[in-house]
Amino acid sequence: MISLEDVSKRYPNGTYALRDIDLRVEAGEFVFVVGSSGAGKSTLNRLLIRDELPSTGRVSVDGQDVARLARSKVPLLRRKVGIVFQDFKLLQTKTVFENVAFALIVTGHDGGTVRDETERALALVGLTSRRDHFPRELSGGEQQRTAIARALVMRPKVLVADEPTGNLDPVTTWEIIKLLVRVNELGTTVMVATHNAEIVNALRRRVIHLDHGRVIRDEAEGMYAA
Amino acid sequence: MTRVVYVLTAAWQGFTRSTYMTIASTLTVALMLLLFAFFVVTDRGLQSAVSLLESKVELVAYLSDDAKLSQILDLKTRIERDPAVARVDYVSKDDAMKRLKDLASDRPDIGPIADTGTNPLPASLEIKLASAQDSQRVAAELRAEIGSGAVTDVADNPQVVDKLLTITRVLSIGGLAVLGMMLFVALFVIVNTIRIAVHARRDEIEIMQLVGATDRLVAAPFVIEGMLVGLFGAAIALLALIAGAGPVTAALIQFLDILPVSLGPNFLAQLAGGVVAFALLMGAGGATISVRTHLAK
Repeated sequence: MISLEDVSKRYPNGTYALRDIDLRVEAGEFVFVVGSSGAGKSTLNRLLIRDELPSTGRVSVDGQDVARLARSKVPLLRRKVGIVFQDFKLLQTKTVFENVAFALIVTGHDGGTVRDETERALALVGLTSRRDHFPRELSGGEQQRTAIARALVMRPKVLVADEPTGNLDPVTTWEIIKLLVRVNELGTTVMVATHNAEIVNALRRRVIHLDHGRVIRDEAEGMYAA
Repeated sequence: MTRVVYVLTAAWQGFTRSTYMTIASTLTVALMLLLFAFFVVTDRGLQSAVSLLESKVELVAYLSDDAKLSQILDLKTRIERDPAVARVDYVSKDDAMKRLKDLASDRPDIGPIADTGTNPLPASLEIKLASAQDSQRVAAELRAEIGSGAVTDVADNPQVVDKLLTITRVLSIGGLAVLGMMLFVALFVIVNTIRIAVHARRDEIEIMQLVGATDRLVAAPFVIEGMLVGLFGAAIALLALIAGAGPVTAALIQFLDILPVSLGPNFLAQLAGGVVAFALLMGAGGATISVRTHLAK
């Protein structure tokens, strides 16, 4: 589903965000990407949605070379790769329902599809009863669930979560992680960048450990630390 | 369908969100369009005046009393063969006297012309030209014949047309220069208005890009917002034009003492269409510049 071959990302000031990365993530996998701040986790995520281009090497998603994608084809890639962030990125003037529906509306779906798919996504994340609330009326966990619903409503092949629980308390963190596991069980490939050791150690999933832009560990049923 | 509703709603929200900026840019556009319309009308009016005067341009070749009829006919045929000449009329000595008498009867300062039995007025050929530009050449050719044939003198009056042509040219160049500057200012204002709108909605744009909206859809509300600015500007300019056209034209006619030049309803419809099209194009163009700059970041 995702493959990086000999990928490096070097910024104009000469520093490397990623260096000589080789990795493959198969369809249906659940992967933790761990490492301290600045290890390159976010850069890796941005490469997958072509928010950044690799300096060298090849990034492909679903068989497509991301770097060689024409600008006009980038939206199609992003419909395949859903992404959620630590800060949720919800529109404050729209309700939960509208925030989720927005993704479908701006990608050209018709009214019936928008309604049905939005309701399905809200049911999946357990927010049907909160559909008419605005983000400021929601808890952090509910806001993140809204963001996840907005990503899932596009039925992406991959869901990338960039520190999804960074702003959440431990109980809510578990809610979100359980939701991501559920999404994965329903067939979506899930990549979670985190530095929450507790959840990584509890789940015992594949762990890719980045340090200073390099993969220093890639274990099938890994722990947060070696 | 939902997409269209989204685009139109977002465009209208953008247009009505920052009132002062919208008013400022709409008025700037209106002013620019008004200048554009004024320039077009003036240019059109002067051109009509030029062609009106051009149709009146004529040369008069005065003929010797001794000239034989065959000589005169020969001369007339030769002049008529010139492609720059539209028509040649023979005015006999009697015709000339009759005209003078008619003229005098309307003008008490000249007084009645006494019939003395003699007629000092010469016969002449009145030459109407097809185009004013050739009047000097034709006149020169006729002057060359003074003394050798039937022609005794040549009168022409091309100065008025020359002056008018010069004025038209100066106004065209000056008007274009002013128009160019105004276009730049209006475009600058639109670009900045839309830039503010883009900034206000940057979160929305970011999310649209993340979920896979096309650049075209991201840009569409802003382009329409720019076109709304253009459209409202055009409406204001056209209203001002309609309100001001009558009095201004009347004042100009009185002041310049020129013939009222009819522009016709067809022309006004074309002008209105031109102003609106220009405004929409400018609005869309300015907005596209802003959004593309933002998306390219």
